[in-house]
Amino acid sequence: MSHHDEHSPRVLKHPLISRLFHWGLIFGFLPAALTGFFIWLKPFGEDLQNLIMQIHIVGACILTISCILYTIFGLDRIVAFVRRIFTWDKRDTAWMLVFGGYPQKMLLGKTIPVPPMGKMNSGQKQMGIMMLFGGIILIVTGWSLYAFLPVAPKAVMYWFDMLHLVIGIFLGLCLFAHIFLGVYNWGEFLCMFGDGTQPLHEAEHHNPVWVANEIEPVKGDQTVRPGSQQAG
Amino acid sequence: MARYDYVEKAVKVSRREFLGIVGVAGAILWTGAYVATDLVHDRNKYIKMRAQGIYKDDKKSKVRQSHNNQAVTDMYKKFAHNPLSHLAEELFHTKYVNRTRLV
Repeated sequence: MSHHDEHSPRVLKHPLISRLFHWGLIFGFLPAALTGFFIWLKPFGEDLQNLIMQIHIVGACILTISCILYTIFGLDRIVAFVRRIFTWDKRDTAWMLVFGGYPQKMLLGKTIPVPPMGKMNSGQKQMGIMMLFGGIILIVTGWSLYAFLPVAPKAVMYWFDMLHLVIGIFLGLCLFAHIFLGVYNWGEFLCMFGDGTQPLHEAEHHNPVWVANEIEPVKGDQTVRPGSQQAG
Repeated sequence: MARYDYVEKAVKVSRREFLGIVGVAGAILWTGAYVATDLVHDRNKYIKMRAQGIYKDDKKSKVRQSHNNQAVTDMYKKFAHNPLSHLAEELFHTKYVNRTRLV
């Protein structure tokens, strides 16, 4: 963190409950996705494959419990997330036409003008929609295969298995892209894995519409240290 | 404690949205519970019917024990000598086959 960042105003971007849920995804979805690929491809011997299946199931438990607890204790965050991922306008179309300016920046080293975004950009919204529906389908089909395979109708279990496999592969690959972009956007990485705050100027750069419309100064001074200044 | 000067405005969930969320969650849970209990109920029904059928067959049979089965007794007398004989073991005992790659 630079000297400038230490004294510049900061915004709480990811509250504690969201960061805890993100850790739940790291300890739940990440191992479940990685082991899922091994369960699909079966590259190892029987004993190791069985151990991998056990890890897959433990990951699924952590993922499921995290989702249930986040729904109960962070319902407002889920409502905000659902509202954001289903709010689309012309700026999103324009953003997608230039891929958010990322390929130009990464491959050509060029910075091009990009339409202003809210807390989530259009790519994150697409990922959010896929994760919301895909995650629910993965959890439901996974637990159905675990608990009801011998008793459920064979055709239903076949299609549950296919859905679990195809969506699992797709979201697993999306996860690698998410990790890459998360590390690439280092400020966002520090924010999510740190205390959830980000310098205001950084948020203004990536999320100008969010900063302009959806944030407000902290009420009271219990969390504001002397020396901090508020932007105009 | 984290230091920050700005925070996201509180998300207001309207009564209509809250009822929608509760309704969808309730419908999913209700349907899931119904399907699961229906599957288990069906399975138990079939197990009971199968058990009743076996008991019925047993009642009808003259010979009710496998070791008194005439065909089996004849087979040992004429062919495989006695139960657990070398030939019987070779013919009737299965061997372990790794089928994990076939699943």
